[in-house]
Amino acid sequence: MTAETAAGPAGGVRRHHIVEVSDATGEVEDGMTIAIGGFINSGHPMAVVRQLIRDERKDLTVVGAASAGLEIDLLIAAGVASKIVTPYVGAEGLVGIGPAFRHAAQSGQIEVFELDEAHYYAGLRASAQRVPFNPWRAGLGTSLVEINPALKVFEDPINGEPLVAVPAIEIDVCFLHAAISDQYGNVQHNGSAYGDVAISAASERTFVSVEQIVSSEQIRVEPLRTTIDGATGIIRAPFGAHPYAAEGYYRPDEDHLRKYIAASEEWLRNGSRAGLDEYLEYYVKEPADPIDYLERVGLRALLALNEY
Amino acid sequence: MTTSLAPDLPADQAAASAKEIMAAVIAHDIRDEEWVEVGANLPVPRAGALLAHLTHGPNLTVMIAMTKAYLRDEPVLEEFEYITDVRAMRWAEAYYRHDQLLSAQRRRRQGVFYCGGIEIDRFGNSNLIGVGEDYRRLAFRGPGPIGTTNATVQSGRWHLVTTAHNPRVLVDRVSFISAVGYGRGEPGYREAIGLQNPGPTYIITPLCVFDFDPDTNSARLASVHDGVTVDEVVARTGFEIVIPDSVPTTVGPTPGELKILRTRIDTGRALT
Repeated sequence: MTAETAAGPAGGVRRHHIVEVSDATGEVEDGMTIAIGGFINSGHPMAVVRQLIRDERKDLTVVGAASAGLEIDLLIAAGVASKIVTPYVGAEGLVGIGPAFRHAAQSGQIEVFELDEAHYYAGLRASAQRVPFNPWRAGLGTSLVEINPALKVFEDPINGEPLVAVPAIEIDVCFLHAAISDQYGNVQHNGSAYGDVAISAASERTFVSVEQIVSSEQIRVEPLRTTIDGATGIIRAPFGAHPYAAEGYYRPDEDHLRKYIAASEEWLRNGSRAGLDEYLEYYVKEPADPIDYLERVGLRALLALNEY
Repeated sequence: MTTSLAPDLPADQAAASAKEIMAAVIAHDIRDEEWVEVGANLPVPRAGALLAHLTHGPNLTVMIAMTKAYLRDEPVLEEFEYITDVRAMRWAEAYYRHDQLLSAQRRRRQGVFYCGGIEIDRFGNSNLIGVGEDYRRLAFRGPGPIGTTNATVQSGRWHLVTTAHNPRVLVDRVSFISAVGYGRGEPGYREAIGLQNPGPTYIITPLCVFDFDPDTNSARLASVHDGVTVDEVVARTGFEIVIPDSVPTTVGPTPGELKILRTRIDTGRALT
């Protein structure tokens, strides 16, 4: 023990990690690669997604979840995403294929990094391991290795077999949504956490919006549940995954999603952006802050999502 | 509790629907000790896998809503619309974290997988990418490969399943291959390109079951469902079918299986 520590705490105080949503999105510059966590109709950091649109970010490569939902469709519709990396964009029974994703892909407005979910995790793992690629077997004999030139067939030096090299998916900033965190960025998910941990491991910086910020003591009750230890920043965001589910808090807002889908389908069917522009204006651009957004959705609609 | 203690409700006496026949085909094919995924929004493979579990699959590993579940003691298995629905997680013996699941490929050797497609061709190749000549200008953009590229390479066995039997889905040659079957039918194709598992066993549709002719690896009519004629299958299929001299009727659900389907698995009647 040094004289300094004997005399009292040395080296300052522990820093808290709580940031505003605009501070988190302020880390993103046009042209960067970002990632959005969650899984189809659950767990997307929507306060962040809406702020990225308000920030008018452009030319982003957006890594969606292994199965992404309409949060990616919205980023495409808003012109934020120019390239997407995900094996699926849709909303299961609500709409099988994201309508704006379809429209933009069919008209060549976005580039799609075509891959299977196993390639997706192989690429994230390569990034996390700081190696240029991870090998994978599936993909041989498919069109993926033709239409996605980044996937390269090579001869494995161990057994001499053909394999697919999946390049590292390197992410500048990722955004996730989880149940709780303490102020030091120790995050705990409810449920299985999908691929959020793999996304975070592949990213330089990780921002997590949470339903609740809790005490350090509450995190230490069950440290095995901590999924991300030390996120770059934590965003206080009750109902922050709306209109998607947050496990253990609320289910998807199907009425709201159907409104968005109708607008997005209009763009697909006849090229009209009227419905999308109206949606973006009212729910994304006009709200002064995330609470204003929730007020526009309405307390009755929100609280109805708490019960099955 | 066992299946013999299923709720004693009168099963609807109506004949099996096409989707109930498909579910029975899937169930009869599953062997105990195998590993099956029950995805959301795929009511036919879900019902087939659960029917196998409740009838002859006590040691089946059933993955439901990203959990491992044992469901034979549950009287009614509600269906959920979303794969992330927490209500479907209440039976969990383990959570499958999605990224870890994809690192655990050895278990798939015991797995049987069901692959869909916006196009499926006569050689068992499937396409979820899109339809069109030019990838940069697709006429129809599909949802993406999801996990089908990998699952059809790592699973011990796999089948193609479609609930739309028409010439747009069942084509001579898919526009793009996201899951590879038998190539263009070349002998030993899968092994030659470095794949270690067999190609698809069946294409299961609302009209019939195809298997693959061992000489040509081309789809062959294995059976037609009750009430369906061979001519009808030919008229609604976009590829040339290998048709044996005699085509049996598909073995559908027994009355007992139909009762389990209707009272314990598909109470929302997604199969009718």
